Amino acid sequence: MLSPKGAILIFFLTGFLLSIIILVLNYLLSPKSKSLIKRETYECGLETIGPTWVQFKGNYFMYALVFVLFDVETIFLYPWAVRFNVLGLFAFVEMVIFIGILVLGLWYAWKEGALEWK
Amino acid sequence: MSVNINYLLLIPEILVLSLGILLFVLALITPRNLQKGIGYLATLGLLGIFLYMPIAWKYTGMAIEGMYQVDKVAIFFKALSLLAGIFVTAIAPKYMEKIGYYSEFFVFAVFTVLGMMVLVSATDFLTLYLGLELMTITFIILTAYKRESAIGAEAGIKYLILAGVSSAILLYGLSLFYGLTRTLNIVDIAAVVKNNGITPAFVLAMVFVLAGFAFKISAVPFHMWAPDVYQGAPTPVTAFLATGSKAASFAIFFRFFYLAFPGIKEHWVGLLATLAALTMVVGNLVAIPQTNLKRMLAYSSIAQAGYILVGFLATDFAGFKAIMFYLSVYLMATIGAFAVATVYENVTGKEEIRDFAGLSQRSPIMAAVLVVSLLSMAGIPPLAGFAGKFYLFYPIIKNWGWLALLALIMSMVSVYYYLRVVLVVYRDEPEDKTPITLPNSIYFTLLITMAVTIVLGVYPTPLAKIAQQAAMIFMK
Amino acid sequence: MITLAHYMLLSAVLFAIGLFGVLSKKNAITVLVSTEIMLNAVNLNLIAINKYIGVDGFYGQLMAIFVIAVAAAEVGVGLGIIISMYRNKETISLDEFNFLKW
Repeated sequence: MLSPKGAILIFFLTGFLLSIIILVLNYLLSPKSKSLIKRETYECGLETIGPTWVQFKGNYFMYALVFVLFDVETIFLYPWAVRFNVLGLFAFVEMVIFIGILVLGLWYAWKEGALEWK
Repeated sequence: MSVNINYLLLIPEILVLSLGILLFVLALITPRNLQKGIGYLATLGLLGIFLYMPIAWKYTGMAIEGMYQVDKVAIFFKALSLLAGIFVTAIAPKYMEKIGYYSEFFVFAVFTVLGMMVLVSATDFLTLYLGLELMTITFIILTAYKRESAIGAEAGIKYLILAGVSSAILLYGLSLFYGLTRTLNIVDIAAVVKNNGITPAFVLAMVFVLAGFAFKISAVPFHMWAPDVYQGAPTPVTAFLATGSKAASFAIFFRFFYLAFPGIKEHWVGLLATLAALTMVVGNLVAIPQTNLKRMLAYSSIAQAGYILVGFLATDFAGFKAIMFYLSVYLMATIGAFAVATVYENVTGKEEIRDFAGLSQRSPIMAAVLVVSLLSMAGIPPLAGFAGKFYLFYPIIKNWGWLALLALIMSMVSVYYYLRVVLVVYRDEPEDKTPITLPNSIYFTLLITMAVTIVLGVYPTPLAKIAQQAAMIFMK
Repeated sequence: MITLAHYMLLSAVLFAIGLFGVLSKKNAITVLVSTEIMLNAVNLNLIAINKYIGVDGFYGQLMAIFVIAVAAAEVGVGLGIIISMYRNKETISLDEFNFLKW
């Protein structure tokens, strides 16, 4: 009845309009405070203490970096795993060397303390 | 689908990879006080593989079906990369001891040599990109090696961003060529030209690829990274960049252009002539006001790239023979100059030209090697640089007379800033007259580079014959 | 009909957006992300050409996987350098790193 492109258009418009309607309703129905003090940010009911931009710990970054590199290694492992039977001994030896080099990288990261969680 | 692989031709790469992995494992398991041996092991290992190269000279062919061509040109440039690696690992130890993370430097240096060796043999877009990125990314790590130095970090981020963008541009050009030729091979581009002629897409792809390669050789509109990276990197790494990276990039540049565009030379020769002229002029003129030795050597090496680009314009293989000869001579001179700069910076911590005052009184051998290297780069007659420039400029006098004249004038201009360093070294008085003692490995490096520069200037025939034998493969 | 031209046009637009990002942004991480956008544009180009006009085989897709891997390695190195920049100058705005000039 309706072509696929028409259906997508209706979905798109609906999503767009829905977000706009929710925001407008929020603006119309919310209580508006008259004084400026009521609008300030608060922390546990009191004034804020210290800077509000908190640094994230370095450990998150190190783990994310090691994850990305080994994830890209996994991309190379998937095609080999799918066609393992057909590819034979040559591909097996080659993938063992590949994984071995990456294990050396993991050993280095382990030794240098990139995987510690303090 | 099994690929035809000729392992005999891949022996140098396998040996270099094994050396790199061995050094990495040793770096992980040796205790802190025995780490000095890794530097010596790296130099000796690379020297052993370099001594295998004359045996490898006889075996040429296609190592991996259609993707990896080991011919005499590739073996010549692999030998040059190994030589650069040997000299850099010989001059680096004392310098790296002060920086920290000592043994990882040698692991990276060996992997950079591997990247260069893969790059010069590539006849396939994928092999080209992998070799190029292996070499470049390792160099980026080496450039930012000094972690407490803001200048090192600045040089590293500049090199990273610019190298990333230029690799992306090169890759876009290669993907357009893939669209035109439907395969990933470089030689098929020549067939496309024969069948379809030159289409606008072809010209666009050629210009993108030219831009990507011109960045690596620091030709002029794409040279802005070189002075900053050369100044900010640790001095042994600058020596490696100035010699190995340039040699490998020129090799692949020449191979790509001669495999892919042989019949349409008249279309790109004008562009390369303009690049060469601009590079020579800008490199030499901006080197004159420099006060930092490493930055001056960077601009001078940009100018040398301009001279080498002239070799692309010659009508037959004489141009490429000249390029190969000049790159070897330039490697020796640059290693000599940077070895002196490394030792001096290690001892006194200074790298401005005026701080080299009176070096002849503190260490006559260092002063002599510095002078010989700089004069060879200037092209003064009894030294090897003159023979190299002669081989480069002589074939183009007939067709590109204006370019040969410009090259001669710019060489004369370059003599000024080289001689200024010579004057400071020999005429001025040093602040601190204590003599400088050299470690043995650096002493031998300095002697070898000076000896080769002088001997090749007087008797260039052996190297010229080898280069000619290699360049003949482009004569088809 | 979606032809090869649509994909290549999208790839060219992405490449241009990435190039604009590299040239105009001050935050070093944003510049790295823009470089990634450029490399992804190239990947799109390679895969689209392989699907529509490549000779039988998958070489375009193969090269795209290798380009993804190399781009990941490059960004890893880039983030390491950005950490080194931050440790030295407390900022990663590229305007502050202007010691090396002329």
